[in-house]
Amino acid sequence: MVIPSLAPASEDQLTPAQMSNASFLETVSLPTPSEFFLALGKQCQPNWSKLVRQSVPVVTADRERIALQLGILTADGFIAIEAQDGQSVKNSARDILLLAKKLNVGQQIVARSQSISDFADAGKWSRLREEFDAMQNDIRLSLLEQKDSPLVVLAMAGSWVRQLDLASNLLTTDDSAFSSGLLVQPEIASRILQRVDNLPDASKKHPVVRQLQEGLNTTSTLMAASSSHLPPSDVQTLATTMSAITAAASEPDSKK
Amino acid sequence: MIRRFFIFAIAGLLSARAAEEVPSPSGASPLAWNAIDHSPRSLALELARGNGSEGYQVHDGFWSGTLAKGDPMLLEVYLFAGNDYRFSAANLDAYSQVSLSIFDSWGYPAGQEFTGNSSCATAGISVYRSGRYFIRLIMREGDNADICMIYSYK
Repeated sequence: MVIPSLAPASEDQLTPAQMSNASFLETVSLPTPSEFFLALGKQCQPNWSKLVRQSVPVVTADRERIALQLGILTADGFIAIEAQDGQSVKNSARDILLLAKKLNVGQQIVARSQSISDFADAGKWSRLREEFDAMQNDIRLSLLEQKDSPLVVLAMAGSWVRQLDLASNLLTTDDSAFSSGLLVQPEIASRILQRVDNLPDASKKHPVVRQLQEGLNTTSTLMAASSSHLPPSDVQTLATTMSAITAAASEPDSKK
Repeated sequence: MIRRFFIFAIAGLLSARAAEEVPSPSGASPLAWNAIDHSPRSLALELARGNGSEGYQVHDGFWSGTLAKGDPMLLEVYLFAGNDYRFSAANLDAYSQVSLSIFDSWGYPAGQEFTGNSSCATAGISVYRSGRYFIRLIMREGDNADICMIYSYK
């Protein structure tokens, strides 16, 4: 057996051309909500229990809004896991299953949803993170299989919006809570904006998708202008923008 | 420290083998196990699972493809300050040598590589600055081998 050895980091340097030609794979290149919340938790130990949002059943037939809401609820599930709130985790999983059924991908996550419920009852938080992560991917793969790639983009955007919604609002209430550097994600913002910009016109006609697009434009611009930290005014703008998108996606049809 | 890491990795491989009889609830997920499956993905997953005893969780996503000798693959990832990450790559050609390196947003080498002159490679980093990083996979020996890369974090 070869004894492995510790090697210093590679001595060569990547060129700008190499970096700009690097592959970008959504399932690997985009971090999960779990990774973001883990980093957030290390920086400011938030009171996760107070940040858990009660699940909001969505009454809508609008597939675009359902997809956006799916992403938001997935992030909510991760927040409930951080709070170690088993009932809220189960509620999130139940609502995700409900929405997934409306998009015809419910069957593919029934088993996953059941194991989430079991792990929540047993308080296995680490396994729950992996199961939620896997459920998110199951939904993504199933939507891609049924040629619903615009919905994949919206679910991805919804998850990211909810992560920034939570973190930016946390920072507006206590500007010393954590470094705003965690909120500066210009590459992710521009990638998601690019995906939303490339959605079919039929999808972009939806009011909530238009609002998402405008919000991502604002976010992308302020993040691109920032070197490593956001000034308080930008954090406030981010919080307002992300909260508005989250609220719009969760609004039942009757209120529209 | 490094020796301990590999002891854990090997222990993880052994315990993972023991766990193979437990079927996965869903075969569609990248994290899914398959007792019969002997692929670069399952090997990379075994390697990543070996970090579990140190508190690492596997990210449910993977890169896989065919690498030719000396023709590197560069993948963009986004890492957060405060988190620790480990990247694991594997292929089935026992005579191949794979190298895995991490570079920061400016293209400078970052983190540490754990090399064993083998068909598996691991690199790790404790992130101090959130942002875009790059993972480079190179086939040093061997040719046109299917390879898979997975990462875990804590």
